Amino acid sequence: MSHTLHRRGAPGSLKNDFVLFAMSAKKINEAGSSVKLKRFLEIVSKYGPVNMGDMKTGNRFITSPETILGNAQDTSIVHGVFDNRESLIRALKEVKEADLGISVIISGLFDDVRECCQQAGVKRHTCETSLGIWGKRERLPDEEILNFTTMCGHGQVPFNLVKKMISDIKDGRRTVQEAAEELAKPCQCGIFNPKRAAAMLDEILCLWGVRVS
Amino acid sequence: MKVDETKCVGCGRCVVYCTMGAIGFSRDKFGRPCASVNQDECVDCGVCYRADICTGKALYEPKPEWPRSVRGTFSNPLVEHKETRVPGRGTEEMKTNDITGRFKFGEAGMAIEMGRPGTGARFTDIEKVAMAIASLGGIVFEPQNPITGLMIDKTAGRMNPEVLNEKVLSAIIEMTVPLKRVPEIIDVVKKITKDISTVCSFDLTCKVHEGDTTPAFDYASKAGLMLTPNGKTNVGLGRPFFVEEEQR
Repeated sequence: MSHTLHRRGAPGSLKNDFVLFAMSAKKINEAGSSVKLKRFLEIVSKYGPVNMGDMKTGNRFITSPETILGNAQDTSIVHGVFDNRESLIRALKEVKEADLGISVIISGLFDDVRECCQQAGVKRHTCETSLGIWGKRERLPDEEILNFTTMCGHGQVPFNLVKKMISDIKDGRRTVQEAAEELAKPCQCGIFNPKRAAAMLDEILCLWGVRVS
Repeated sequence: MKVDETKCVGCGRCVVYCTMGAIGFSRDKFGRPCASVNQDECVDCGVCYRADICTGKALYEPKPEWPRSVRGTFSNPLVEHKETRVPGRGTEEMKTNDITGRFKFGEAGMAIEMGRPGTGARFTDIEKVAMAIASLGGIVFEPQNPITGLMIDKTAGRMNPEVLNEKVLSAIIEMTVPLKRVPEIIDVVKKITKDISTVCSFDLTCKVHEGDTTPAFDYASKAGLMLTPNGKTNVGLGRPFFVEEEQR
């Protein structure tokens, strides 16, 4: 369940894409952890996340932040997405001070995350890296589509939905922002970064010479 | 997922919300266009249903019988696995390593996420990869992972034959090995994935060792693999429920 791993893209595109999330360990410290997970979400929401969510409740594009907070359960996995280092560091510092005792994980560029950890006064404990995609790669769409869909590790953002959103923008049926938010909706956990998606949509449209007013 | 033909208005809005591209169109008995879901390809992820885009409210999810029930369990993140009570693909892997101590110094966590990204996987392919890895000998598949729970022979990596033709959005084959075994696992995965009908994403986990290092990653680099610049970092704020050993 490495749902925040395998986000694809050039380092420049991944640079401002951080997922900060927390969970308790089943049968070990899960009992009563809903209060801690809720506190974690309260802290995260103070620092302007571009998305947040809980797999059990949904993300902020399909429900309200208050509902996400209010529904935190002992078995929840709660997430916030940041588009800049400063917010991540400030959130991480406060999470550390809160001393919740639950596991906290960050996804992002390793070098950036390492520096953020140092600045927030926390030490890296365990790291997980991607060794890439193997097997029948010819079944995959273009890399530029994967850059969107891999922001949801549960595969809930269909390839065809990305293509449809690009087509909708070209035809003037949606703005870039609306398309980015529509793509964020199926990712139940709230780890899809709509700001990065909007930037990537802009880039694709620019390459195709489409001007969006 | 199924479509109630009496309610479908043939608008086609559901098509792009299908993760497997399994929604097509046919004519109903009155000759009207009507959506239909290819039940063999559908993984019961529920994305089309939750998107709430069906004009006629025609999409519905019947309660699946065994063995079809494994589709939704692995593909719909709202469903918790009975064995682990973890939603999604059902394993905590490194996320709680600061609490559980699952991966220790001198070890590497390795996982093959079958069907990711976005192509889905049948258990025939999952079994093929699991058996190839198991053939190396001495492999212990992660017990707190529902894929291991579906194995009838955990030493050989053989899956319950009842699920073999089932298809899921993705499922994780997971194990912990001594660091020195990282290259041989990479090698066997490299070989067997040439012989599967889907894709998989490959994960490598390592506890941060002395000097802020991750030696498992070095083993992968030496095996000729390019590591991605991004990944996951557990920042060790969980309260340990195990005795943290000294690094030897």
